[in-house]
Amino acid sequence: MPDGTQRRSNVAPWWGLLFAIVALGCNAAFFVGVPFQAAVTWLSLLFAAVALIFLVTGLKRAFRQPEVYRGKVLTVVLTVISLLPAGLSALGFVGARKLPGATEAPQVGQKLPDFTLADTSGKPVSLDQLLANSSSASPRPPSSGAQTPKAVLLIFYRGYW
Amino acid sequence: MENRLADFEAAGVRPVAISVDGPELSRDLARKAGYTFPILSDPDAVVIRRYHILHTAGGPDGHDIARPAEFLVDSSKIVQWTNFTEDLRVRARADEMLVAARKLR
Repeated sequence: MPDGTQRRSNVAPWWGLLFAIVALGCNAAFFVGVPFQAAVTWLSLLFAAVALIFLVTGLKRAFRQPEVYRGKVLTVVLTVISLLPAGLSALGFVGARKLPGATEAPQVGQKLPDFTLADTSGKPVSLDQLLANSSSASPRPPSSGAQTPKAVLLIFYRGYW
Repeated sequence: MENRLADFEAAGVRPVAISVDGPELSRDLARKAGYTFPILSDPDAVVIRRYHILHTAGGPDGHDIARPAEFLVDSSKIVQWTNFTEDLRVRARADEMLVAARKLR
């Protein structure tokens, strides 16, 4: 087998694996609440793409230039292992963006229509009421005599399940 | 959110959470998570629809829910700041919302 010329080790799939793991690891950022999360989503996708480039390069080297590079089997194994985290982060990116737009939603400067909805005790609460007083909903004593809030921050969320 | 509540109060802003969850479910959430700000229920997505932030069949069993959205509304009900995320994983952070809150006059 050894013919005097040393074949090079194929490091590309290892880089592929590393980038695939980093791509998936980026999702941890969403649990710890770091800033620039929007950038992190794109970084995650970018790392998955870089991983894919390394994996393809690794496969090409292993199968098209076997006289130069060692490790066909290892390359295939690493590629298969790497595809899972890389694929998951790409799928996560696509899945998380399956959201309807909000172009029709009230924009800055527009007046919000009023509403009345039940609070956790089933008591109806209107936007006017929320804006009018420091209601019983907030058990804390109001700070520095500010009885009426300057504004209400409405946070619509998907629900708890 | 909850641990920045004092900051929001100091800025004169009252946070209010709204979802399609019923009052009982929201009460469970508030108890478990220790939330003291108001949580309102819009089970039929009436207000969510009125505000055009409905995510049709977005819920786990295919029911209609709200897409994540934040509105800062002043005392004349004029919208002063909004946030509509394009990615479920990216939510408005309390810090960002406080910056908007403190800009209010």
